[in-house]
Amino acid sequence: MRYYSPASLKEFFKISSQCPNGQKTFLAGGTDLMPCYEQGTPLPDHLIDLKHLRDLHSISVTENTLIIGALTTIQDLHDHPLIQGEFVALYQATHEFAGAQIRHRGTIGGNICNASPAGDLLPPLYAFDAQLILTGPQAERHLPIHEFILGPGKTALLENEILTSISLNRKRLRSQFQKVGLRQSMAISVVNLACTWEEDEDGFSMLEIAAGAVAPTVLILNAFTRAYLENPKKLPKLLQLIDEAIAPIDDIRATANYRRMVLKNLIWAFLTK
Amino acid sequence: MMLYHPKPDRFNLSLTVNGEVVEREIVTHLRLLDFLRDELRLTGTKEVCGEGECGACTIIMDGKTVNSCLILAVEAHGHEIITIEGLANMDELTDLQRSFEDHHAVQCGYCIPGMVLTGEKLLDRNPHPTREEIKHELSGNICRCTGYHKIIDAIEHAGDTE
Ligand SMILES: Cc1cc2nc3c(=O)[nH]c(=O)nc-3n(C[C@H](O)[C@H](O)[C@H](O)COP(=O)(O)OP(=O)(O)OC[C@H]3O[C@@H](n4cnc5c(N)ncnc54)[C@H](O)[C@@H]3O)c2cc1C
Ligand code: FES
Ligand code: FES
Repeated sequence: MRYYSPASLKEFFKISSQCPNGQKTFLAGGTDLMPCYEQGTPLPDHLIDLKHLRDLHSISVTENTLIIGALTTIQDLHDHPLIQGEFVALYQATHEFAGAQIRHRGTIGGNICNASPAGDLLPPLYAFDAQLILTGPQAERHLPIHEFILGPGKTALLENEILTSISLNRKRLRSQFQKVGLRQSMAISVVNLACTWEEDEDGFSMLEIAAGAVAPTVLILNAFTRAYLENPKKLPKLLQLIDEAIAPIDDIRATANYRRMVLKNLIWAFLTK
Repeated sequence: MMLYHPKPDRFNLSLTVNGEVVEREIVTHLRLLDFLRDELRLTGTKEVCGEGECGACTIIMDGKTVNSCLILAVEAHGHEIITIEGLANMDELTDLQRSFEDHHAVQCGYCIPGMVLTGEKLLDRNPHPTREEIKHELSGNICRCTGYHKIIDAIEHAGDTE
C-alpha cells in the first residue's frame, strides 16, 4: 500500500489522477475507515491522506456566512464559540458525538462523505441548509447537502473530487438536536433529529425538522411542518404525516416500529414543551 | 487486529515518543498501536476491541487523547506521542496516578493506562471537573471491572491534600 500525504490541493490532484480508479482511498480522521479495515475490508493499494491540506482545517466567519473546512475535527467544531452561539443544534450534535478520542480525530467531512443514515452531524446540517463546496482538478461546484447525499454510503462526489468546505448561512435561527441510542454515549443513533425555528408572540413563524436514521437519507419533514404551522391544534392527527414521510428499517439496534414511535415522541415532546 | 496488505510498502518514519526522537523503517499498513507495542515494546498501551470503542489503546498525540488502534503509524510521522510510560518517572507517579492507588480504582488494570491518560488531559483543561464532566470525558473508555465509581472518585479528588 502506497501512502501519500499531499500538502496542497495541486499536489493532491496530481497524485490522485495518477492512482488508478477503484484502487485509491482518501483518508481523513480514519474513524470510519479504520474499523472497516480491522473488520476485514481490504486496504486500498493507494491511500491518500488529506490531513496535510492545511487550508481545509480552518473555520472562517464573515458577516453572513460560516465556512467550515472539511478536515475540521468534531472537537474543533464543538469548541468554536460561533457554533455554540449561533448553530446550537450542530454544537449539541458534536457534544453528544462518540467519546473524546474519536472527537479529536473524526472530521465533519468524513461524517458527510461517509453518508451514514445515522450520521449525527447530518440532521443539523440539513436543517441549517448547508451548502457543500466540492473541488475537482478543473473546477469547484456547490451543492446543497440534500443533493450530495444519495443513499447509505453514496454521494454525488465525482472521481478525483473532494469535499473541501461546508458553508452555513448565519440566519440566527433557534435550533435543537436530539438523539436516542441504545445507551447514552458511544452508541450509533437509533433516531436523531434537528429542529430549526423562528418564533414571535403567536408561536412559530418558521419551523424545519430534519430526521435521521428513519430512511436511507436524512429527511426534511416538510409536509408535516407546513400542516402544523397552519393548524397547531391538530397535532395529534398530523403525526400521521410523519409516518407517511419516513421509511425506517429493522436492524440489530432497533425495529422500524420503534424508530417510528421514538421519532414521533421526540417531535411531540419538542412541540408541546 | 493487525492489518495486512498483499503489496507491502515501506516508509521511513520519524516521530517523538515520550520526549525522544524515534526513527524506524516500517510498513505503511502498520497501526500506531502495533508500532508502539511491538516495535518499541511500550506495552502499557493495550488493545481490546481494535475498533475505537473501548479506549484501552488511548495515547496522547499532539496534546490530545486518541485511539492508537484507529491510526496508522505513518499518520504519526512528525508528530509527538506520549504513552502511559512517558507520563511520569517509574518511581514518581503523577497526582492522578497516586489518586488511582489511594481510591483503589484499579482492578485488572487493563483499561487503566487509557483511563489515566484521559483523566490527565481533562485535568489539564479543567482542574476541578464535576462528576458529570468526568463521565462525559470518559465515555470512550470502557472498564469491565470497577463499575467506574472509584475511577471517577480518583479523578475528582486527584491532588486533594488529605
Ligand atoms: C467508536 C466510534 C464511535 C462513533 N460515534 C459516532 C457518533 O456518535 N456519531 C456519528 O455520527 N458518527 C460516529 N462515529 C463514526 C465516525 O467517527 C464519524 O462518521 C466521523 O465523522 C468520520 O470522520 P473521519 O474523518 O474519521 O472519516 P474517515 O474514516 O477518514 O473517512 C470516512 C469516509 O469519507 C471519505 N472522506 C473523508 N473526508 C473526505 C473529504 N474531505 N472529501 C472526500 N471524501 C472524504 C473517506 O474516503 C471515507 O470514505 C463513530 C465511530 C467510532 C469508531
Ligand atoms: S483497542 Fe482501540 S479503542 Fe479499543
Ligand atoms: S480495571 Fe479491569 S477493565 Fe478496568
